[in-house]
Amino acid sequence: MIETRLGEFEEVILLLTGILGEEAYSFKIAEEFETQTKRSVSIGAVHSTLNRLEEKGFLTSKVGNATAERGGRRKRIYTITAYGRRALESARDLRMSLYNQFPAFAGKMDFGFSV
Amino acid sequence: MRKSKHNPPRPAQKLLTLFLRRDLAEEVTGDLEERFDKMMLKTSLLRARFDYWRQVLNYIRPFAIRKGRLQKIMHYGMVRSYFKIGWRNIVKYKAFSAINVFGLALAMSVCMLIILMVADQRRYDAFHAKGDRIYRITLSTNYATTPLPLAAAIKNNYTVAEETTVLVPGPAGDAVYQNKLAEMRGYFAEPSFFSIFSFALEKGDVSTALQQPYTAVISQELAFQLYGNDDPIGKTFDFSDRQLAFPQEFDGIGAPPVPWGTFTVTGVVDESKYKSHLAFDVLMSAATQPSLITAKKIEDRTNAWDWFYRPYTFVLLKEDKSLAELQTALDDLSTRTYTDKKNEQTKDLRFIPQKLSDIQLNLRGNDTNNRLPLIGYKFLIILACVIMITACFNYTNLSVARALTRAKEIGVRKVTGAQRGSIVAQFLSESVITSVIALVLAVGFLFLLAPAFKDLWLNKFLKFELPSTPDVYVVFLGFAILIGLIAGIYPAFYLSKYNPVKALKNPGTSQRGKFGLRKTLSVVQFVISLFFITTAILVYRQFSYYMQFDYGFKSENIVNIELQGVDYEKLKHELSSIPEVTNISATDIIPATGTNNGMDIKKPGTQDEYIQTTVLQTDENFLDNLEVKILAGKNLPPREQGANFIVISEKALQKLGFATPHDAVGQTVEARWSNEQLVIAGVFEDFTYRLLINTREVNPITLRNQPTAFQYANVKISSKDPMGAVKKIEAQWKKIDPIHPLKYEFFDQQLASMQQGVFDLVKILGFIAFLAIAISCLGLLGMATYTTERRTKEIGIRKVLGAADFTIARLLSKEFMMMLLLAIFIGVPLSYFINNMWLQKLTTRVEFGITTALAGVFILLALGVITIASQTIRASKANPVNSLKSE
Repeated sequence: MIETRLGEFEEVILLLTGILGEEAYSFKIAEEFETQTKRSVSIGAVHSTLNRLEEKGFLTSKVGNATAERGGRRKRIYTITAYGRRALESARDLRMSLYNQFPAFAGKMDFGFSV
Repeated sequence: MRKSKHNPPRPAQKLLTLFLRRDLAEEVTGDLEERFDKMMLKTSLLRARFDYWRQVLNYIRPFAIRKGRLQKIMHYGMVRSYFKIGWRNIVKYKAFSAINVFGLALAMSVCMLIILMVADQRRYDAFHAKGDRIYRITLSTNYATTPLPLAAAIKNNYTVAEETTVLVPGPAGDAVYQNKLAEMRGYFAEPSFFSIFSFALEKGDVSTALQQPYTAVISQELAFQLYGNDDPIGKTFDFSDRQLAFPQEFDGIGAPPVPWGTFTVTGVVDESKYKSHLAFDVLMSAATQPSLITAKKIEDRTNAWDWFYRPYTFVLLKEDKSLAELQTALDDLSTRTYTDKKNEQTKDLRFIPQKLSDIQLNLRGNDTNNRLPLIGYKFLIILACVIMITACFNYTNLSVARALTRAKEIGVRKVTGAQRGSIVAQFLSESVITSVIALVLAVGFLFLLAPAFKDLWLNKFLKFELPSTPDVYVVFLGFAILIGLIAGIYPAFYLSKYNPVKALKNPGTSQRGKFGLRKTLSVVQFVISLFFITTAILVYRQFSYYMQFDYGFKSENIVNIELQGVDYEKLKHELSSIPEVTNISATDIIPATGTNNGMDIKKPGTQDEYIQTTVLQTDENFLDNLEVKILAGKNLPPREQGANFIVISEKALQKLGFATPHDAVGQTVEARWSNEQLVIAGVFEDFTYRLLINTREVNPITLRNQPTAFQYANVKISSKDPMGAVKKIEAQWKKIDPIHPLKYEFFDQQLASMQQGVFDLVKILGFIAFLAIAISCLGLLGMATYTTERRTKEIGIRKVLGAADFTIARLLSKEFMMMLLLAIFIGVPLSYFINNMWLQKLTTRVEFGITTALAGVFILLALGVITIASQTIRASKANPVNSLKSE
């Protein structure tokens, strides 16, 4: 049975894949992860997670076109699936619901609309 | 961008391609290279390379590793297969496996016994907290002892030692407290004893226990004997020294008691808690010595650098000092001390430190107690190794013999892609499984063997306990695996060599011509067996010869009583009232029990060399009592008639150069050193005085009458009821000496017990011979079984064509019989030669002779022929129909 919930790292990787769009391949995702989170990560770790997410059906991948960069080697571009989007949405909803129930934050989650 | 001249590190790239899934190769190498280029722009080349390595190593993840490679790296599946197939093979060929397991187990049990022995000895002195820094100082002349001033000299003049202590064997006599007596033997010890060694006091304080003169730390057992359950601390005992043998059984022969005074008990140590090479009943404070010296009760050795026969010196090294520094200090000390280069005894003397943990196993000349010397272990280890090798030969032989059967299997394995290494691994795992199974059986044998070993007479002195602790079993397992590898290594490499094409095409004939090795190994096995059999027979014959040996005197019905300081005349008077006592004499030494004193004599006024004689101090009844025949002159006269009479043995007579016994009577001889003039009163027939197991010629004997030297009374009793007579003697003894219990031994038993060590050797050799022949016959059985099995068809055809049963049995046996005969032709002369090397050194000996050889050959042939015949006769009797009808 495949685990369908998202771990924190998986969630971030999934989001980054969505953010990067056509540029979402292992190296770029890892680089983006490091710049955005200020945490060091190896390409292998990212690749391993992408592989897992693909197995779970949150991502699909296709081999991109050869470029002059990187010695003419092709990249594997990852695209988020509808199922992956839904997993992200439910993760976000769960999060929001929990944040709203937390008294210290409750009512302040107004995203700056009130005075 | 790819124009940058720097590339990622090659080895890392190599590594990556080694394990990475092929379908991932392109994208991953691309990603990593992009990363590398980025890193090159941002940081240094070194960092970029380092980062690349990190990235590569981080790709070693289950998802990215090539599946084929995984197996190649981990081997797990294959290893499991090896063991599974190995196990199946063992189960499939039950007879061969049983032979292998049984043979290996027999040999392993002996090796394990020795492992147990060594493990037992290694437990000695393991309890000392500072044990790794404690050294005993020994002498380069193999003495375990050193001069008395050494300990203080090391401590005071050199910085290498944190502490030193010296133990002087001294007090050995009777302690008396309120009419309760206990024999105690021990050392003079300094307070530093307790700061070096970790003996804890049950009662008392280690820091003060040995400070004051006339204080003593005693053993728990002794405290109980003297004071019962009362608190011994502060109690006193009166000590009389009798110079009892200590620390070794043959150290000193006792003396009349000398009162040393009253000692106060300041500590009790429970000896039973410690396994140590130091065993003692009492530690007397070294501070007692000066007053004993003043009273002339012990000799003053305080500065005697040339007297090194008794004190044991121990050094506790400082934590930052090394053994080499200690040796340097000691060398410096010895060169400064022994400056007199003319003194033969001390001129080259050196002090050698010996590690505490090494003391128990590495016995020195005059060590503290009886234990097996290193040579004993070497002897046993050699025996065990020979047996182990014989058993390994069996495994090798049977495995190689079965090569024909396994050739197809090996061929198929190779054709389907097995490399040589895998086949080797396959065979080795089989042999390891076999030897681990053998280990289980060997542990069983060991439970039978260990008690038998502990029952040996020798163990009374060696005190092996042989407990099996978990750590010993770990060693056993390691040992079993090692033996498995050794036994399997040759077959593994030999069988894996097979050319698969040949092996598959023509398995029957391809590997002929390799019988040479198998035959050789078998012959070697039988030569070894024959050697052990004949040696055991020979030693047994030697033993029974000793037991029946005619010493030239009668030892039957003589009870030797230790005088223990009692006046002999008084005892003689009391004992002569017992009707069963027919004669009494006295001696200083019991003849033929290992101790002797010497006296050199010559004709006075001549330039002749002194002749060495053994001197026995005895009285006028001795010769009669032992029924020694007087050849000329008179018996030894009683003391009252003068102290200068001697009687001499026939041998002494010849050596002195007298023609007939009568010529010697009345003549005077001169004793060396004392220059006494001694008159020969008579000459008696030679008797054996020395131990039978002796390499020197029979010594001339002189008898002299010196009552002060007497240590034993030899009481002859009538033969009807010896024990009843002893009871009466005991009653009389109690009258004279109520304190000491009677110590007596029957003379003939005493003489017989001298041979117990030889009998132990018979038992050990006999057992080893049994193992050797059993293992060799097992191997022979395996070979015979295999050969007859292989030739079933041939036998069938021969029988159909009219061969008789007997002819076939002979045909099958021929090869094996030739091996046996070859073994006999090599083994008998070899055994004769080797055994004569030790035999010829003994003066009292049996000859190797044709009987020993024949007996050995008979046993070997009988067992060998039975083994072979059991297989060949069965095969020759088989109905050819059965073997021929199925193809």
